Amino acid sequence: MLSRGVKQLGRLRPCSQGILPSFACRGFASPTLPELTKDRYPHVKRGEFAKLDQNHLKFFRDLLGENRVLNDPSDCEIYNVDWNRNVRGYSDCVLKPKTTQEVSQILSFCNEHRLAVSPQGGNTGLVGGSVPVFDEIVLSLSLMNNIISVDDTSGILVCEGGCVLEYLDEQLANHGLMMPLDLGAKGSCQIGGNVSTNAGGLRLLRYGNLQGNVLGIEAVKANGEILDCLSALKKDNTGFHLKHLFIGSEGALGVVTKVAIQCPAKPQAVNLAFLGVKSFDNILTTFRRAKRELGEILSSFEMIDEQSIGAVMGHLKVKSPIDNHPFYVLFETQGSNDAHDQEKIHRFLENIMGDGTVLDGTVTNEPSKMRAIWDLRERIAEAFLHDGYVFKYDITLPLEKFYSIVDVMRERLGSDVLRCCGYGHIGDGNIHFTVTTKEFSKDILKRIEPFVYEFTSELKGSISAEHGIGFRKPQYIHYSKSDAAIHLMKELKKLMDPKGILNPYKVLP
Amino acid sequence: MDDYKFLFKVVLVGNAGVGKTCLVRRFTQGLFPPGQGATIGVDFMIKTVDVDNEKVKLQIWDTAGQERFRSITQSYYRSAHALILVYDISCQPTFDCLPDWLREIEEYASSKVLRVLVGNKIDREDREIPTHVGEEFAERHNMYFLETSAKEAENVEKLFMQIAEDLMKVSRFLCDN
Repeated sequence: MLSRGVKQLGRLRPCSQGILPSFACRGFASPTLPELTKDRYPHVKRGEFAKLDQNHLKFFRDLLGENRVLNDPSDCEIYNVDWNRNVRGYSDCVLKPKTTQEVSQILSFCNEHRLAVSPQGGNTGLVGGSVPVFDEIVLSLSLMNNIISVDDTSGILVCEGGCVLEYLDEQLANHGLMMPLDLGAKGSCQIGGNVSTNAGGLRLLRYGNLQGNVLGIEAVKANGEILDCLSALKKDNTGFHLKHLFIGSEGALGVVTKVAIQCPAKPQAVNLAFLGVKSFDNILTTFRRAKRELGEILSSFEMIDEQSIGAVMGHLKVKSPIDNHPFYVLFETQGSNDAHDQEKIHRFLENIMGDGTVLDGTVTNEPSKMRAIWDLRERIAEAFLHDGYVFKYDITLPLEKFYSIVDVMRERLGSDVLRCCGYGHIGDGNIHFTVTTKEFSKDILKRIEPFVYEFTSELKGSISAEHGIGFRKPQYIHYSKSDAAIHLMKELKKLMDPKGILNPYKVLP
Repeated sequence: MDDYKFLFKVVLVGNAGVGKTCLVRRFTQGLFPPGQGATIGVDFMIKTVDVDNEKVKLQIWDTAGQERFRSITQSYYRSAHALILVYDISCQPTFDCLPDWLREIEEYASSKVLRVLVGNKIDREDREIPTHVGEEFAERHNMYFLETSAKEAENVEKLFMQIAEDLMKVSRFLCDN
């Protein structure tokens, strides 16, 4: 996840206006490129796909015009590298359709000529799912960024897949509404990508996931067929719920071109608290009590450990408003009456401090200070990049065992790594377990993987909570899914994309 | 959970810039952090002290002085055991606002709350409010009075310790009766 838009240039108005942020302003520590994926992962072999030739390019240029077909390697570079700089493809063709029809014609052509395609939104994914592995054509949805309708009464938004999340949120604010999801990458990530990856984020605890909030989808299948499931109804039990095939399938079954989303009312009152506690157990106690005492207004409950916050404070010079503690809790409330909310928060804090669970803290409803506090949480991923190489794992564990992965791995890795730490969504049992080193090391990788997946599997957790499988994790999917489930996924893939041109080498083993 | 016998809630109020946060920092951490930004919202921390060999836990709430946060801070008065009203001895307007603060305290705080008037920044040479003026004001309004310097660590420990001792006496008295 990236940081919130405000602090970084380039986050503010990236793809929505056709300007792609350069690497420098995306929070990268240095401009050096990662090794090509084909070299770092030599066991992955290029599929039996055609190679792009002049005839193909001519077709695309005739369809989209010169400007919407990028062919120059330097123009294509940023579409080839993932945000984490873990993987890099070498595609020299980026296509930028503006309509569903164009997407349909592109896919139909690619399917016919067996050209592999890598659909791409804001390219903020963390598992290498949004960039080519080899020379797949990049299908960028960036120019499909129109809002089609907003219904003030029902709260239903219909828009194109390339709309940037933050832009949608800003537009919805004029209607007294908000997006049901919020994540660090909001300034760049696109709703089509969010839906395709079933992105979670910071308020899933309160507003639920996209499987619940997306009412309808328009998608284009691998053969170019347009599938209109763009129903904007809360209730619609007519036949199989096909939209779910596209939510979280990471572009392997189709390209999401339009979505209808149920949006909640924008809260009248928002309060944010940042607390220092001395043990992970105290975080759990705070969470249990927060659910009981703040129940209906609690909108986010996040934890950060000392090493994670150290990265933000050290590399990005973000100041913590409170003293140093082994663990931090950040919780947010959203409600309709500020006086009521503050009374609840105050009583809760008084109680939780009274028994020594919380040692230190601050609470505020002032936007600038809330943003400063959110930065401590949302800019962690960005801060880690400054360490060098980042091994990042996004796992769900039973709450009591949430932090155990960090303790266990610290023992395994000792002082051979710069950081071994965790932060994440307590509300959803989802920890972002992270190890950083100066540079990529196969030895460290071997000490982390597959152990981290085995550990997660033993505890009946998920090896990918909200980041998906992408390129980095297909070989580990079996730790979280049964053989029968994986078999059915493969059957579905065969049915919907028989030639396998959509996002190959990803999701499925 | 923790081993303590008494828990008291102490709330600091007063105009922006009079040094409330510095008093708290000096007491809880022994620091005087220069160039602090204004407190926004409410900061809170715990400090355990010994009084007559008993552990007393002080829950200290440091509120924002700025007018625009006033609505937040009001809800924090209610269950306070002690209220520390702070002004800056080198800044007349911060003293002139004391009646406004008192009105708010009357309205929102418990009538039994221990009230302490503190003239801070006695390290400064450009004093505008003589000690006896502060003293008289405190007396008139039935408040304790103390002058402090968070910067020079003068009377800061004494301020909080005296509050702890006093509150302990009161609660012992209530227990015994």
